[in-house]
Amino acid sequence: MEDKKVNVFSTPTCPFCKKTKEFLKQKGVEYIDHDVTSDKGALEEMRRLTEGGLSVPVIQIGDEVIVGFDKGKIEELLG
Amino acid sequence: MKGVTIYTLRGCPFCSRAKAFLTEKGIEFDEIEVEPRSGAWKVMKAVTNSGSLPQIIVGDEPIGGYGDLVTLEAVGELWEKLGRPRPGDTPRIYDLIIIGGGPAGLSAAIYAARKLMKTLIISKDIGGQVTWTYDIDNYLGFSEIDTVELISKFEEHIEKYDVEKMEGVEVISVDLAGSIKKVFCDDGSLYNAKTVILAMGKRPRPLGVPGEKELVGKGVAYCSTCDAPLFKGLKAVVVGGGNSALEAALDLINVAKKVYLISLTPLTGDPILIDKVTASERSEIITEHNTLGIKGDKVVTGIEIKPLENGATRVIDVDGVFIEIGLLPNSELVVDTLTTNTMGEIVVDSQCRTGMAGVFAAGDVTDVLFKQVIIATGEGAKAALSAYNYIINRK
Repeated sequence: MEDKKVNVFSTPTCPFCKKTKEFLKQKGVEYIDHDVTSDKGALEEMRRLTEGGLSVPVIQIGDEVIVGFDKGKIEELLG
Repeated sequence: MKGVTIYTLRGCPFCSRAKAFLTEKGIEFDEIEVEPRSGAWKVMKAVTNSGSLPQIIVGDEPIGGYGDLVTLEAVGELWEKLGRPRPGDTPRIYDLIIIGGGPAGLSAAIYAARKLMKTLIISKDIGGQVTWTYDIDNYLGFSEIDTVELISKFEEHIEKYDVEKMEGVEVISVDLAGSIKKVFCDDGSLYNAKTVILAMGKRPRPLGVPGEKELVGKGVAYCSTCDAPLFKGLKAVVVGGGNSALEAALDLINVAKKVYLISLTPLTGDPILIDKVTASERSEIITEHNTLGIKGDKVVTGIEIKPLENGATRVIDVDGVFIEIGLLPNSELVVDTLTTNTMGEIVVDSQCRTGMAGVFAAGDVTDVLFKQVIIATGEGAKAALSAYNYIINRK
């Protein structure tokens, strides 16, 4: 199965962001972490993906976007 | 062998019980989810002569709802209708089911496992409220540790014992009277145990105003540790007057252009925090005001407030609203069967007993006076030991 590209939009102090990244690491899934507090482009991209959302973590798997650490949905989208 | 069809409604506890019952008995079924008054519902009503849910049909014959299903099985008639012999084996019975995987529940699991109790933890997620903050400085032995790491340590500890875990599953109803307690989950499963420990903790109290639910994640937030940094250069409001609200305001003052603190009453938090917030040029404290609504179409654009004493309603333009007005106990499962206090917390004695035999509770969901991680872990241990005593004294 083809691997989907995974992007995580996070802030450094958010514990759910940390949980998300640890979960992905545990599953051996490669992802790119974007710190939206220091990367303005990433912040804009995150808000675009979530239609103006202001909440982290945001996880982009392929074309799908998940807001919040939703373990079940992440597993489902990873296949 | 005849097939079974069940008509269900999402969120309906008797529908889940019926499915769990069929699953437990090893009876396969086709499920048709319906909305009341929909086309499918009308078909169901025509076939069964009833509009209530669930409706179970064996072959072509409607047999009724959950109660009818259970009765039919008990007298053996269900098996006759199915054209199958009745199976002889009994369902698995745990010594203990722990509902809730926060510090109280996890601590209870260790103690139960070490007493060789067959234990199952059922929890939507592991960690609970402690994971909403970044670090914790007052857990004995760890002068400063981030909460994700602390919970990992708890989980690693439990891995060393034979404790079953059902994670990502929510308990939707419980039958706690009787010698075998039944726990029904949202995935249709049913678990049985001799004892239950309720450790469901608390959740943030919502404001309950228009615009709040619609704009969660679009400017409405409950966790400033997570989301405050996103409001760099923007304007935000914190609703609340206690320490959580003041701390959220301080988180925001570091990054935001302007921070309003709106409280229904005079501020109740620690003076040291009040001073820090007051000292900032970017903050404005507005007390004795009620929040009427959160404005905004796709994202938050403002908050509508009104003074308690006479005065006009006004809207303050903001990009974010952080709600820090306290916590609600997750006691809905038992609020009509167990004693709870005026805040909805489960009342327990010094042995974590609830007053119903074999049912114990621990942690923030109870009326324990102070809500701290280390207190929750202590209470969890007590509850497990009490459950153990209950079981060995029963035999």
